[in-house]
Amino acid sequence: MAEMSTPESGAKKGKKKARSKKSSTRVDLTAMVDLGFLLITFFMLATTFSKPKAMEVNKPAKDKEKTEDLPEIKQSKTYSIVMGKNDMLYCYTGASDDTSIKVDSTFFSRTGIRAMIKQRQMEVQQQWGNKDELFVMIKPLPDSKYRNMVDILDEMAITGVKRYAIIDDFSEIDKLVAAKSGNRLISEKGMQAINAEIAKTGIK
Amino acid sequence: MSKVKLPRKSTAIDMTAMCDVAFLLLSFFILTTKFKPNEVAQINIPASTAQLPLPDKDILLIQVEKGGKVFIGVDDQNTRALWLAKMAEHYKFKVTATMQHNFVVLDSYGVTASQLPQFLALSPEELNKVKQQGISMEIKPPQPSEFMDAILFARQSNPKLRIAVKADKEASYEDVNEVIAQLQERKVNKFNLITSGRAANVESANKE
Repeated sequence: MAEMSTPESGAKKGKKKARSKKSSTRVDLTAMVDLGFLLITFFMLATTFSKPKAMEVNKPAKDKEKTEDLPEIKQSKTYSIVMGKNDMLYCYTGASDDTSIKVDSTFFSRTGIRAMIKQRQMEVQQQWGNKDELFVMIKPLPDSKYRNMVDILDEMAITGVKRYAIIDDFSEIDKLVAAKSGNRLISEKGMQAINAEIAKTGIK
Repeated sequence: MSKVKLPRKSTAIDMTAMCDVAFLLLSFFILTTKFKPNEVAQINIPASTAQLPLPDKDILLIQVEKGGKVFIGVDDQNTRALWLAKMAEHYKFKVTATMQHNFVVLDSYGVTASQLPQFLALSPEELNKVKQQGISMEIKPPQPSEFMDAILFARQSNPKLRIAVKADKEASYEDVNEVIAQLQERKVNKFNLITSGRAANVESANKE
């Protein structure tokens, strides 16, 4: 161990000359080092390194008094993604006549939803000359998981879709998709139910 | 005087440098550490590629558990005190010193307003053992839900509060959307979803 030279041991009558009365200033630091590392270990274990990240979400303000005309979007620029239970996704391209719509079902994966969004972006690019014209409508059904919503928003960021919205307003096609896939369409409780009621009857 | 002996190497090492290093690291860890808060709910957050770091202060954290239970809390102790005072005024209960202290040290809570006075009157040990049932989200029109009230009072206590939603990845969209719908009813249209980081091109196992 490190040398221990306290005044007592220094003054001890030994072979050393008695004239060295001056006590050494050296202190044994081993214990201090031990303590230091002990505390380091503690703080390392107690600390949280992976700081959580935040995903910012801006929802359109709901103004019940003001019902201004919303800008219309051409059906051919849209892409609807309906999210159901068991991580299933049902996507379709808007068309002017509702009769001939092809609804694809897919999963969250690089070859699934991401490829489909990319393909749709290409189609819009060809038709309109700018892929940012694409408008993705995300329609989560009440039985989908929160993770699905985060994943799809993430997918928007990855594929670089500029215009997208989470929509709680379901079209006839969405209703059909929900019914066919065994999902509920509208939540029966709380604010969502109240909002749905307002939307249906128009009375506040 | 002294005979020439075979010089015996001392095994003693100078510890000074090592000590310096140890304490340097120690001070680094002390300064950077942020203790894990005592969590009321087990929440498994989803991963995303979002790179925005969560702001450190003025956060109103709303936690949604897997089963849909909701807990809320603010980070600042002064705000908590104000918040409790406002709630006490609204729900008409008296705040004792213990209750105030218990609430101020609580990171987040999830009991209904009627249970709150009773809950806060408990001793700190008992407080940690109580299984909290989540804030009441029930709306009885025209009355807003207790959750909406709590949000309102918290924002009155500190107008700079930013809203962060921390929901379990397995929580149903319905429950999370209920929180969002009620927030929007309180004119909160901008909020943060807390996720854990992930590299953009690395697919997680459950997505593949």
